[in-house]
Amino acid sequence: MSTAKRDLHSVFSRRALLVSGGATVMMGAIVSRLAYLQAENAATSFARERRFGAGVYDEGARDNRFDQRIIAPPRGVLYDRFGEALAVTSPDYRVTLVPEQVGRKNLEKVIAQVGEILAMQPETVARKTREALAAKQSDVVIIRQGLRWDEFSAINVRLPELPGVRAESSLVRRYPQDIAFAHPIGYVQKPNQREIDTVLAAGDQRRAVYLRNPDVRVGKSGLEASLENDIHGEAGWRMVEVNAAGRVVNELGGETRDPKPGRGVVLTIDAEVQRAAMERMAGLSGACVVMDVLTGDLIAMASSPGFNPNEFVNGISTARFKELNEDPYKPLFHKAVTGAYSPGSTFKICTGIAALDAGVPTSYRVNCPGYFPFGGRNFHCWQRKGHGSVDMHAAMKGSCDCYFYQVALRAGQQSLADHARMLGLGVKYDIGVPSVSPGVVPDKAWWESKRRDPMPAGIVLNTAIGQGDLLASPLQLAVMMARVANGGLEVKPRLVREGPGVGPLEKPRQLPINQEALKAVLFGCFGVASEPGGTSYRSTGNLGLWYDPATNAVTESPTQPPGLLQVQMGGKTGTAQVRAITAAERARGVKSNNKLEWRMRDHALYVCYGPVHKPRYACAIVIEHGGSDEVRFPGTAGYIGGGSAAAAPIAADVMRLVMLKDPSSRAVASVRSLEARNDPTPQKPDRSPA
Amino acid sequence: MTMMSSAGRPRGVSEKLSRLNWTIITLLCALAVTGVIMHFSVAEGSWAGRPLAHGSRFALVLGAVIAISLLDARVWLAIAYPVYFGTLLLLVGVEFFGETRMGATRWLDLGPVSLQPSEIMKIGIVLALARYFQNLEPRHAGTLLWSIPPLLMIGAPVALVMKQPDLGTALMITFAGVGIMFLAGLRWRYIIPAAGAAIGGAVAAYFFVLHQYQRDRINTFINPDADPLGTGYHVSQSKIAIGSAGLFGKGYLQGSQSQLDFLPEKHTDFIFTMIGEEFGLMGAIAVLGLYFALFLLTMAVAMRARTMFGRLAAAGIAVTLGLYVIINTSMVIGLMPVVGIPLPLISFGGTAMLTLMAGYAIVLSIDLHRDQAATRGLLW
Repeated sequence: MSTAKRDLHSVFSRRALLVSGGATVMMGAIVSRLAYLQAENAATSFARERRFGAGVYDEGARDNRFDQRIIAPPRGVLYDRFGEALAVTSPDYRVTLVPEQVGRKNLEKVIAQVGEILAMQPETVARKTREALAAKQSDVVIIRQGLRWDEFSAINVRLPELPGVRAESSLVRRYPQDIAFAHPIGYVQKPNQREIDTVLAAGDQRRAVYLRNPDVRVGKSGLEASLENDIHGEAGWRMVEVNAAGRVVNELGGETRDPKPGRGVVLTIDAEVQRAAMERMAGLSGACVVMDVLTGDLIAMASSPGFNPNEFVNGISTARFKELNEDPYKPLFHKAVTGAYSPGSTFKICTGIAALDAGVPTSYRVNCPGYFPFGGRNFHCWQRKGHGSVDMHAAMKGSCDCYFYQVALRAGQQSLADHARMLGLGVKYDIGVPSVSPGVVPDKAWWESKRRDPMPAGIVLNTAIGQGDLLASPLQLAVMMARVANGGLEVKPRLVREGPGVGPLEKPRQLPINQEALKAVLFGCFGVASEPGGTSYRSTGNLGLWYDPATNAVTESPTQPPGLLQVQMGGKTGTAQVRAITAAERARGVKSNNKLEWRMRDHALYVCYGPVHKPRYACAIVIEHGGSDEVRFPGTAGYIGGGSAAAAPIAADVMRLVMLKDPSSRAVASVRSLEARNDPTPQKPDRSPA
Repeated sequence: MTMMSSAGRPRGVSEKLSRLNWTIITLLCALAVTGVIMHFSVAEGSWAGRPLAHGSRFALVLGAVIAISLLDARVWLAIAYPVYFGTLLLLVGVEFFGETRMGATRWLDLGPVSLQPSEIMKIGIVLALARYFQNLEPRHAGTLLWSIPPLLMIGAPVALVMKQPDLGTALMITFAGVGIMFLAGLRWRYIIPAAGAAIGGAVAAYFFVLHQYQRDRINTFINPDADPLGTGYHVSQSKIAIGSAGLFGKGYLQGSQSQLDFLPEKHTDFIFTMIGEEFGLMGAIAVLGLYFALFLLTMAVAMRARTMFGRLAAAGIAVTLGLYVIINTSMVIGLMPVVGIPLPLISFGGTAMLTLMAGYAIVLSIDLHRDQAATRGLLW
């Protein structure tokens, strides 16, 4: 170790100077950093647009002071054809908070306080706390919505002691018709993470921010989904000056853009008819489509059971969704357009036309012993004891399978398929709702695309009576009936009467079908519904409606008023076998359909048109597993198929209402007139205490 | 106005008063007044509350400081160890009986007053080390063996303060202590490897010793824009405030970031941001200039002192002041991680003001009694 004596005082002085020098250097560094921050700011502000004169940190300063608050636009209102509201946007009062403004530590306490003020269930408070803890710190979390005015006031008074909590009003989608329009209209929900991710992947940051706004809802099913772009509207914004706690200290009126409401839409549906159809199908699983045979306007398009779309708007619970989703009656399923069923005997309308078109005379008679031998086996008629000798009219009336087996053989499978397509089966209609089923019309090309073996000749017999591979939606069956009833005009169904992409009604094309064939089959339908002995005569034979031949005015009365004629309808029953009763079941004593489990029973179908004197409406009804051979009506021959027992009475009631009201003859509403009616008074809460 | 009086021990109170280093007192007053002005702005133009409290508290403390500085400088030598070890005991007490505020246990509740022993330790360490080197034989100074006691004297409080946890204060105690060892003549051959070890140790500490929030602060410091609304919020906001202020600021009471509550902790640790925003680059430089002048004057006091204790104590106070200012301003403008060190005399808060003013009582006293032979204590 060095022994050289050190003068510690001069060492101190040297080192004190060194320390002072070090301090000077650091001071210099701090001053240059300060200067740099400003120079950086000045440089960017010079490079940017001059008119703002703003640099990076200026902009930061402005972003913070001025918050752009998104105002979600009111969605376009959906109306029925007469202006009744089906989907509206109305104000809602709610409590929200932003976790980062409350502070993570306080979150639990603050939510508990809000819960106390609003008397919320403890489990709801717990769920909201979890939700808020899991949320992005800067997101707005809705604690409760749908507040009553007194609750809203109560929370407003307590706001000063609840940092970061806001009480606000917002617009919320409501479906005043509840279950009646759940399927055609659908519902809106918050965009899910996948949708936001898709937008982000496309690089649209702004839209992602917009979608995350708690006020924003997008259509998830039905017309709400398919018309989303047009009825959503354009978001507005307002600039507010806020402090760091998110409290608005100043509204900056000048920098506000009002949201642009979404387009209003008028549907072709008559809400009254739709509701009646839903009520009539209550407790059943099925669908009912009513269509104007001249315009294609869908007067009703009901699927049962319905569900309440209002449950979805603010987020449906997993348990409730599971319950709906697993219900054997499938309430979430849009049966009217997405359901594809074997048309059963209702397809005999098409078979008959194809046969007559192929040259079979209307007077052609077939003897029905109850079965028809073909290809080494017997094809049975539903009437085991046979119909005897039948012509076209009698075969339609009694729904004789043997007759249609034989005439179908004369027409051939390809002709059946061609006629089915002409009448609207196997075609996908763009009526504005998603998941429209195209159905299946089997022909040689279809068979070869599916199977390797040659198409068996017997397939034409299955097709003739609407069984086998043939599948059609209730909507398609209504189209088929309409095109026959209107004399072969190729009408297309439409659901939206006034709205995006809807042009003037095109004159439908005349289908290349023999008019005599159409008339003969239509007369057959008349026999089914309105002549004694017709398979649905018991329920459709007398509707209690009468019309004045001079004016066509319809009145209702139990007995015939003098001078008036009966309003009649035509139709065709159908029973679609879901599953044959097996030999084992037969051995156990299961002989009839209603002894089977519900899900294995036959589907009941009915297609019809009316009034006979001036066809205007077509209707198709499918009641799932509605088949029952227990119900027998006096005055009808023997076994009554499912269609006549379960579906025809519903059709009769719906058609009775439609023909009495005659919605097609009444003036329809227009969006402009409806909005002029609604506009001037934006809804204000009732501030007076009750 | 500087009193460059030469030899002769001051005798009467009035003579002592006239010989006090009034330049330093003026600078202290100027800084405190700056504090009052800024608190007036924080309070959105109201005297009630902080501005008044800050001003009156300073006036009171200043009176006490002047009175105490008139006492014989040997008092400080005498109480150096008692203060140090007493404070160390209090720090242990905090560990067991401390009160937790804002996530850290720093406060000790002693009936009517609550105090932070870690703040007293900032002065305690200076006094104790100066005391140690005062009596150290010159041939031992700076050697490895005789550097062990001061290292222990630094290490003990630092360990306790780290545990609270209070990274800022721990850093300040460490730097002040090491600074005094350096000034006392620690040999370069130990300094260089020790500095290397310290850097290695800091890296290791980051991964194994620091709390997550402390790590976050360091990460945020390295990339503050990564999480501008989370941990980086403080720094981003103060950078916005200072960067947008311009040369002369947005004007008194006009800082939009500060006035609209965007600045967190603006009355305490982040008050420098407000100075920068409202008075601009020039205002910030002026305040830094006040501190720098105070630092240099304090160093001058140290150089003029004749005893090793006086030299090291005054220099230690100067280093403490410098650390306060450099750490605080650096973290505010994003040169350093946020560690929670106030801007002395300007930030609101009694303890920090008391600490620094106690230090200046020592400095003034040393300067007043610089000609005293202080080789032996007063009380024994």
